[in-house]
Amino acid sequence: MIPPSTHRYAEVIHRLEAGGSMLPDTPENLQQIIGIYKAYAVPMDFYWRDLLYIAERVFLNPLPAFKYFPSQEYLDLPNSYAGETADLRIWRGEAGAHPELLEFMEKGETRRMPKLLHHLWHDRINMEFAEACMDAMFWHQGMGGRFYDYLESDTYKANADRAIKAYFKGNPLMLGLHKLFPEMFLEQVRKLSYYANLGLFWEVMAPVFFEMSDIYDEGGFSGVPAAMDFLVNGIFAVAGRPIYHHVYINGECLEIIPKSEGFTWLYEAALPYVEAVFYRTAPFRGTKSYNAQAGQVPADQADFHYGILYADVFPVGSAGIPPTLLMQDMVHFLPPYLKEIYLQHRRGEEDQLIQLGITFQRSMYNVTSAVIQALRAALFYPLDDPDPEHLLANRRFFESQMDRFLRPEARLRDVQTQDYR
Amino acid sequence: MPDILDTARAAGCFQTLLATIEAGGLLEALASPGPFTVFAPVDDAFAALPAGTVQTLVQNPPQLARILKYHVLSGQYTREQLIAQAEWTTLEGAPLPIRRFDPFEVKNASVNAADVVCDNGIVHVINRVMLPG
Repeated sequence: MIPPSTHRYAEVIHRLEAGGSMLPDTPENLQQIIGIYKAYAVPMDFYWRDLLYIAERVFLNPLPAFKYFPSQEYLDLPNSYAGETADLRIWRGEAGAHPELLEFMEKGETRRMPKLLHHLWHDRINMEFAEACMDAMFWHQGMGGRFYDYLESDTYKANADRAIKAYFKGNPLMLGLHKLFPEMFLEQVRKLSYYANLGLFWEVMAPVFFEMSDIYDEGGFSGVPAAMDFLVNGIFAVAGRPIYHHVYINGECLEIIPKSEGFTWLYEAALPYVEAVFYRTAPFRGTKSYNAQAGQVPADQADFHYGILYADVFPVGSAGIPPTLLMQDMVHFLPPYLKEIYLQHRRGEEDQLIQLGITFQRSMYNVTSAVIQALRAALFYPLDDPDPEHLLANRRFFESQMDRFLRPEARLRDVQTQDYR
Repeated sequence: MPDILDTARAAGCFQTLLATIEAGGLLEALASPGPFTVFAPVDDAFAALPAGTVQTLVQNPPQLARILKYHVLSGQYTREQLIAQAEWTTLEGAPLPIRRFDPFEVKNASVNAADVVCDNGIVHVINRVMLPG
C-alpha cells in the first residue's frame, strides 16, 4: 500500500511492518532465544527477590555484608504473576523461588556447603550483574517516565527523610551524619528506590520467560513472530502495574514511593530499563579509557552505546564485566537442546559462554522488537490499517528506531545470519 | 442538558469507559461543573487492548486514573477550537497532539463523532484508548 522503504535496514523494517521481529524467523532462532530466556529467568528469579530485599529490608545498613542473602520470606515471596495467588497469572508454575534456583543455591558448581562458604568462594548467583543494571538506570537521565523527577521532588525528599530518621532512630552518630550531610543518605535512598524499581520490573519478566519456555516445549510457538507477540501482549497486560518503594523498619511499613503516585511498570520501569540497559549502559572498565582527554567515551549520555544491542560479546566476556557475570549465571540453567547446539559449533564447551552470549544478544533483539511493536501499537497504528497515512506514520516510527542501529557497533546486521555464533 | 457521565451512559457504547472511570475514582470529578473536554473511547477500543491490560489497570486505581486523565482536557473545546493548536496539555500532564484535521485525529485515535455538548463539557468519541509518550 505504501512504497518500499529506502532505509539501510529496509529489509528489517518490512519484516516489522509484516508483524515480525528484528530477528529473522528461523527454527534455530526460535530455539536459541527461548532456551536462553529460560536460562535467564532462573537467575532473574534471584535478582528480583534480592533487589526487593535490599530496597525494603537491608535499606541503609552501612555495612551490608549480607545483602546477597535474601531472607526466606523473600525467597518465598509469591511472584504477583505466577501461582494461584497471582494478580494476573502469566506463568502456570508456582509463585515461590524456582526449584532450579533453589537447587543451585544449595549446591552451586561445587557441592553442598554453608551459604557463607559458597558466597566467599563466589560459587553463587552473580548479583553484581543486577546491581550493575540498577546503576545504569540510576545514572542515566532523560529516559522518559516520571521516576527521575519524582526522586528530586519535595514529596520524595520528605518521605525519604522520614525513613532515614526512622531507620537510624537511637543512633546519634548516623543521625548526626544525616544532619551534617543531608544529601548523602537521600542519594542512597534514591539508589535504593531504583533497586525497588528494577526488582518490580524483573518480577514480571521472570514468569513471562518461564511461560514462554513452557509454551515452546509443548510446540505452542509457530515461530519467532509468535514468541515476540507473546512478549508484546505481556507488555500491555502488565503495563499498569504500580511501581513503588516500601521500606520495613522495625515492623512498620513506610511508603517512600506510594502506589498512589501512579507510577507504572511500562513508563517508569520497562521503557527506562530498555533505554538504560539495552542501549546505553556504561563502558566497561578495561574496555575503554575513562580519561576524558582520550575522548573514547561520548560526552552526551544519550550517545552511550554499551548495551547488549551493541555488544561485541568476545571482549566483553572478561572477568568481572557485568554481562560476563550474567553469562556465567545463565550457563548453569541452559536447557539440554541449547547445550547441544553449543557443543556442535565453534569450540564446543570451551567457548560456550561466548556462544550463549551471542544467543542472548539475539534474544534481546527480539525483546527490543517486542517493545518497538508494543510502542507502535500504543502510539501509532495497527499493521493492517487501511489508511496509507497511518502506515506511513508507522514506517517513520520503525525507521527512527532502526536509525539507532546505524552506528558501526550495532549488531543488527550480525543477527540476520545464523553464522553469527 | 445531561452531563458528561449521563451522556455516556445513555449512548450505550461506553460501558467499559464508565466502569474504568468508577474504578479509577474519577466519577465525582467528571460529575463536577468542570467544564471538561473528554475524548471518550468506545467499548471496542478497550476490547482491542491485549488481554489483561484493563484488568491490571482496574486493579490499580491510581495508575488507571493516570491513563484516563490523559483523555481529558480542562476547559470546553470544540473540534474547530482543538485544531487551532498543535497540541494540548491533558489533566494527566502529558501533551496530546492533534494529528489531522479532516478526518479529525487526536494522537493515534480517530474521532468518530465530535462536539457532543453536555452540561459540564464536551465529548469527542474516539476509536482507540490513547497512551502518553
